[in-house]
Amino acid sequence: MELRQASDTTVDGVPIHGGTEVVPLLRAGLLRAETLVDIRGVVSRGVADGRIGAGVPLAEIECDPQVPEVLREACRLAASPQLRNMGSLGGNLLQATRCWYWRLNWPCRLHDGDECFAREGEHREHAIFANDFCASAHPSDVAAALLALDATLTTSRRELPLAGLYRLPTDDDRRTTTLDPGELILDVRYDKPDASVYLKAMERKRWAFPLVGVAAVRRGATTRVALAGVAPIPWLLDGFESAAPLPRNAYKVDVAKALVKRATAAVAG
Amino acid sequence: MRLDVNDHAYELHCEVGTTLAEALRDELSLTGTKIACGEGHCGACTVLVDGAPVLSCITLAHAVGDAKVTTIEGLREHPMLRSFVRADALQCGFCTPGQVVSAVALVEARPEPTTEEIRHAMAGNLCRCGAYPKIEEAIRTWRD
Repeated sequence: MELRQASDTTVDGVPIHGGTEVVPLLRAGLLRAETLVDIRGVVSRGVADGRIGAGVPLAEIECDPQVPEVLREACRLAASPQLRNMGSLGGNLLQATRCWYWRLNWPCRLHDGDECFAREGEHREHAIFANDFCASAHPSDVAAALLALDATLTTSRRELPLAGLYRLPTDDDRRTTTLDPGELILDVRYDKPDASVYLKAMERKRWAFPLVGVAAVRRGATTRVALAGVAPIPWLLDGFESAAPLPRNAYKVDVAKALVKRATAAVAG
Repeated sequence: MRLDVNDHAYELHCEVGTTLAEALRDELSLTGTKIACGEGHCGACTVLVDGAPVLSCITLAHAVGDAKVTTIEGLREHPMLRSFVRADALQCGFCTPGQVVSAVALVEARPEPTTEEIRHAMAGNLCRCGAYPKIEEAIRTWRD
């Protein structure tokens, strides 16, 4: 394996920024790379009004007063202080699921297998929406906050709404993002909200992935709510009618409903 | 490759993929930095890179570049060490180097942290012996 410094945003190899996801995946054999490309020199680290470089570490976003509350709080409640010092905004959006079957390299559907082991097995922390094909839960608090903010991403090849970064895995395409190999997220933009909040239920009070994360953003009379930890991708909430909990994660529906109620009340004008 | 550790410049040879924790321990014999979970969860391997606490077990040695690394060995003279001893802030001691490194970064930024600030800043350092109340006390009283 070799490590190269990126000289521009054309990357031929596996991009690495903070390494908090790439390094553990490499070491676990879940990611293979002949060439790692260190992109820290080519991805923006600036925070300006309504725009954040994808290279900004979560620890900086967490305490920047220009950043809307929903995103600051999502960063503050994500991971541990060390990981927030290392991990970038862009990398956080691209983190893989915490599904233990996937992490233990079981031949599940995300690994191109033909079974979702979580559906019949241990799925206490898994998805309650869109979990038919794969019940993994998307762990990014930050993605839920940006989805609620209706943020726009600029990549090295295009501009797209944050919602367009993610896709539900299907039989013929198991990916959960739409990013092409070598395509880099460069920055994130959003319009300022009138009010916003992020609430998170965790297994313990700090340093845990979301069982349910709820981001609520109000602009004028419209409130947009997005959830983390409830579907294979960050989930824009359109009611609970489509929820299909598994036998041991139905509690997530109750938790999500309660947090959504609290979050919408907190941002009400 | 070169590493700047505790104000010494070291020349060393290791393969790409070697973590900073492995380089510190196996190449430089700086074994104060501990590897416990080895996957970025527990904080035992915490070191400072340019003053910020990071997890050396998932930091690639080759990605450190010119940044200044501070390990527990570089904090020998820091009053936080004595404070951990005074408060009896450990049992088995395996997590202690990481705890001290995180605690030093906190008080360098905020010399009089509140309880909430201590808990927030120390959340990434797990202690299986459960010495948390004493660790909190050590940080609260570090200048006594």
